[in-house]
Amino acid sequence: MRVLILTSGTPFIRGGAEILAESLRDAVCAAGHQAEIVTLPFQSCPPSRIPEQMLACRLLDVTETCSIRIDRVIGLKFPAYLVRHPHKVIWLLHQHRTAYELWDHPAAGDLIHYPDGPVVRDAIRRADRVCMPEARSIYTLSRNVSNRLRQNCGIAAEPLYNPPANAPLFYNDAAGDYFFFPSRINPMKRQWLVLQALALCREPVQVRFAGEADSETHQAECAKAVRDLRLSDRVEWLGVISEEQKRDGYARSLGVIFPPVDEDYGYVTLEAMLSSKPVITCRDSGGPLEFVAHDQTGLVADAAPQSLAEALDSLWADRGRAARMGECGRERFQSLKISWENVVDKLLC
Amino acid sequence: MLKINWFSPLPPAHSGIAYYAAQVLPVLASRHQVVAWTDQDQVSPDLSQVVPVAHYQPANPPWRTLNEADVCIYHLGNHGGIHGGIWQVSRQHAGIVVLHDLCLHDFFAMVFLRTLENPDAYLAALERWYGADGRHAGEAFRTGGIGAEAMAQCYPLTREAVWGALGVIVHSSRALTDLHEEPVCPVAGLDFPYTATAQSRYRGWIAVRNAAPGPPYRLVVFGYLSRNRRLRTLLEALAGLTGREQFRLDICGQLWDESQIRVEIENLGLGALVNLCGFLPESLVEQELSTAHLAINLRYPSMGEASLSQMQFWDYGLPTLVTRTGWYASLPEDATAFVRPEHEVEDIQAHLRAFAADPGAFRAMGERGRQALRNHEPGKYVDALAQFASDALAGSPRIPALHLAGRIGNDLSPWLHPAASGYLLDRASQEIFTMCEEAARDGDAE
Repeated sequence: MRVLILTSGTPFIRGGAEILAESLRDAVCAAGHQAEIVTLPFQSCPPSRIPEQMLACRLLDVTETCSIRIDRVIGLKFPAYLVRHPHKVIWLLHQHRTAYELWDHPAAGDLIHYPDGPVVRDAIRRADRVCMPEARSIYTLSRNVSNRLRQNCGIAAEPLYNPPANAPLFYNDAAGDYFFFPSRINPMKRQWLVLQALALCREPVQVRFAGEADSETHQAECAKAVRDLRLSDRVEWLGVISEEQKRDGYARSLGVIFPPVDEDYGYVTLEAMLSSKPVITCRDSGGPLEFVAHDQTGLVADAAPQSLAEALDSLWADRGRAARMGECGRERFQSLKISWENVVDKLLC
Repeated sequence: MLKINWFSPLPPAHSGIAYYAAQVLPVLASRHQVVAWTDQDQVSPDLSQVVPVAHYQPANPPWRTLNEADVCIYHLGNHGGIHGGIWQVSRQHAGIVVLHDLCLHDFFAMVFLRTLENPDAYLAALERWYGADGRHAGEAFRTGGIGAEAMAQCYPLTREAVWGALGVIVHSSRALTDLHEEPVCPVAGLDFPYTATAQSRYRGWIAVRNAAPGPPYRLVVFGYLSRNRRLRTLLEALAGLTGREQFRLDICGQLWDESQIRVEIENLGLGALVNLCGFLPESLVEQELSTAHLAINLRYPSMGEASLSQMQFWDYGLPTLVTRTGWYASLPEDATAFVRPEHEVEDIQAHLRAFAADPGAFRAMGERGRQALRNHEPGKYVDALAQFASDALAGSPRIPALHLAGRIGNDLSPWLHPAASGYLLDRASQEIFTMCEEAARDGDAE
């Protein structure tokens, strides 16, 4: 079977979606098929250009290329999944979220700041509603994404979990004196909330943040918060780290703190579970809640500094409990039987 | 319940639309969540008590706040100073446009040529809607070769005002017909709203009028008295009327050519019959209208839309002479007396003679006008307005569809021979239809 994986992205920017597309391609090929990724450049600013890019996707003909038939198209991201194909399957990473639940989000909302924002928002919503059901089947990255899709468009879709890249390489080591928070640094991931929580901790809790900031401004704001809250001896910014360093960061941590706003899926959670570490997350964190069972594989706190501080203190003070939760998390991951083979079977059936 | 951003002149602005807003907003705000936006320096405290008032700068509107509402309702009329800021927002942010005038050339001439000092934009607008003829006429207008009145009639630029709107509301059947000829968005015609004064007070006015039944019969002209109010024709008709001494004419309002009108009155020997009252404060309006016997409310050419002063005349139970044109032509035949544009003097004189012969028939006409106000009740208007806005929001997303079609046309037409363009353009238009129209129909079905 010749499989085209259609996604969209920003040239020279590489993130989780790109890694997922590559992993999917490798898994499809490992299953004995041919697969290629087509990444369509997408820019959301100015919003007036978005409908044009949607139309451009609709006008692409990927039924065949130079007389070579494309047997299956897998659409991952907006607007690439709008492409027409008689055997299109959507594996939805997420919709264009600022046209939906993040429309008026104080930090993430972007369309709302433009005069033509409502018109573009409505165009996106209408196109999703009419074009997505053209697919022969629709899967999503997580239950959270499925729920959103049902709420946004009334479309039912089965969640299809995939393992993190290099899942077998994650390991556990002796717990050190820090919580690990590997993620892009931006307001939606809420590193700032963790800093505020640290300031309220009764225990001398420490956190190591890894990852790149989306903006220098936000990085500067975080640095200022560290100074203002007198946390410089309890916070470490590791910046961009290698995959090996990341796995080591997980392995030697006491636990993982991951309190994003309504995350689609959250590989961090799965990587922590693979590393036998408990995860502290928040009630509004979205994807991680599908894996973190409160008091079993981690702790679910309110999205407030005090609640998060209590969760951090609690595991810091009881390392045995933290270790038991971590083990429980690893067992939970194994029980879910999350595998690329399963993903490929579903997408190509 | 809708969240509505309302853009209009607000009291105390000297504008009939501000008065209209004062009538409509309390009712609208009682049924929906409304914010009245203004770039005026002052807003009547009375209005601020019934609806939240927010200020904006036309050059830098607070888009985020505006986008938190469901819909913006923009009121556009022919006064560049009052409506210029509203239009600047409406051209960028799609909403419902309520047209209070149809001939908007004066408005755009003022906005483009004076406020924005952008003659290229003025000429581009004329070319957009009227082709090369429009551009040439605009160039001639700028050098004095064509007058404002001729431009307003030949190149009203109505479509420029509603370009990109989600929907358009007008108050006359003529406007509805004109805009339906080439629909760019949904258009609705609603009866101009007006709250009739309580019946008990109305009876008091009738008593005052009956106490001085005439002759002399008091005629009244009222409002902002621009060229198209036909004052000279009226004076000419009055001067030539046998038995003219039975009438007195009060001209109330700001005259665009007061000195010339004074000369005209003098030359026609009407000094004893005609009184120039100037702009009347609110306190004197009641006295003037409750003692008048016949209102003269002529317009020609009609610049467009519904007349607040007509509503006020009916509120006082006043019979009215109107020109059979524009919105006025759609008024009830039994509640108004019509003047044909091409027979003005003849018809005015005939009506005045008829009045003198049978004032009771005209009193009955005024009564029927008063009854006609039932159709203009603001509650009905507000409900229809909100329903129209809801329907327009749920309807077909024509704006992105038109932009996409325009973009494709602009990009491809230089490349493709017309005969060769079918396949590509057909596919493009089909996909635009799928993304926009089919989705809208699915939404309607839901």
